[in-house]
Amino acid sequence: MPAIEFHDLHRRFGRVRVLSGVSGGAGAGEVLLVTGANGSGKSTLLRCLAGLLAPDKGEVRMTVGGRVLEPAERRRAVGYLAPDLAFYEPLTTAENLAFFARLRGVDPGRGAALLDWVGLPHDRAAGALSSGMVQRLRWAWALLHWPDVLLLDEPLANLDPPGRKLVSQLLAEQLERGAAAVVANPAPIDLPGSVRRVELAG
Amino acid sequence: MSSWLAEAAAVFAKDWRAELRTRFALNTLGLFAVTTLVVVSLALGPIGGSPNGPSVLSAVLWLILLFAATAGLPRLFVAEEETHTATALRLAATPSALFTGKLAYGLVLLLALEAITTPLYLAMVQLPVASPGLLVTVLAAGAVGLAAASTLVAVMVAQARARGTLFAVLLFPVLVPLLVMAVALTRQAVSGEPANVGLLPLVLYDASVIVAGLMLFPAMWNP
Repeated sequence: MPAIEFHDLHRRFGRVRVLSGVSGGAGAGEVLLVTGANGSGKSTLLRCLAGLLAPDKGEVRMTVGGRVLEPAERRRAVGYLAPDLAFYEPLTTAENLAFFARLRGVDPGRGAALLDWVGLPHDRAAGALSSGMVQRLRWAWALLHWPDVLLLDEPLANLDPPGRKLVSQLLAEQLERGAAAVVANPAPIDLPGSVRRVELAG
Repeated sequence: MSSWLAEAAAVFAKDWRAELRTRFALNTLGLFAVTTLVVVSLALGPIGGSPNGPSVLSAVLWLILLFAATAGLPRLFVAEEETHTATALRLAATPSALFTGKLAYGLVLLLALEAITTPLYLAMVQLPVASPGLLVTVLAAGAVGLAAASTLVAVMVAQARARGTLFAVLLFPVLVPLLVMAVALTRQAVSGEPANVGLLPLVLYDASVIVAGLMLFPAMWNP
């Protein structure tokens, strides 16, 4: 069963201490909701969990298929969504997803299907998308490779009410198939599945 | 096709697709090379027949190629950082395949640049070539080394502040052996007089930089 756990994570940027001894985790079908004010370390925590940032101290364990993944494997395995995740502006939405599908060894048709699910046109240049449409594209990108662990930083940002409903359904489907999710948001939000909450003090 | 090769090919195709739509590197390299070429050719005049002609023109040709590459190739990774696409790449790509795809993109860019500028340059300075086959081989081998070293240095400077300066400062010492060999072999190809260096050291230099790149790139690219 997929799961992600982290224990006693510490991270500084120069003299600024961002994470100090954060622990938590989520198992299959579970959501860990991480809340906290701006600058409390939510995005840093998710970047550490994704393997994009090395913690100064502490341990991250991601288990998929009964095996604990190395940081390099973790990077490629997670479904990551964050506000700073961007796409190639000269390329269309379909070309962006087809490119990443080839990198991940996934059928490029998967990208087209996901674009339909999130309600995006296939032939619009990524540079010509609204912020809400970019957020939908981030969702499609994060789910491209059927990830067992989702790391979602402000997953509802910039979305209109139909968009929020849509991604809530998408998340519910992922949890039903056994994925685990860590969600970061400044304030508590309604999420499907079994939700636990951790508040970062900052 | 293996998944590793497919990844490298995907990076190569993506970079070219984006380049053909924006033409940023093509315009930068092309404009720089043609401007320099015209200025140098007009200043030197038709010196192909003079005793020092082959030496001077070989050195100038490689300087033009070097500075054109320095103007365009740092963008290989800087653009990924500036447009925030680096995060998605870090999460999706195998580092060595990414390095190979970027190297192939830079190499094709340099070969295209050489294919346009070299004949133009030789015609403008009226320089006859004794061994065209050797000249093509040296240009190709030199482009491989230039592209490999530039790709490696480009990732090192991508997250730094003074990227342009740092790129040049780090790249030039790495490229000195390549330039010395390439200039000597180009002079041999042009004049027909044997150089004090063979093609093998140039090929070995290329192989060393590529192997070093494949080994070092993952550590430089990922945290």
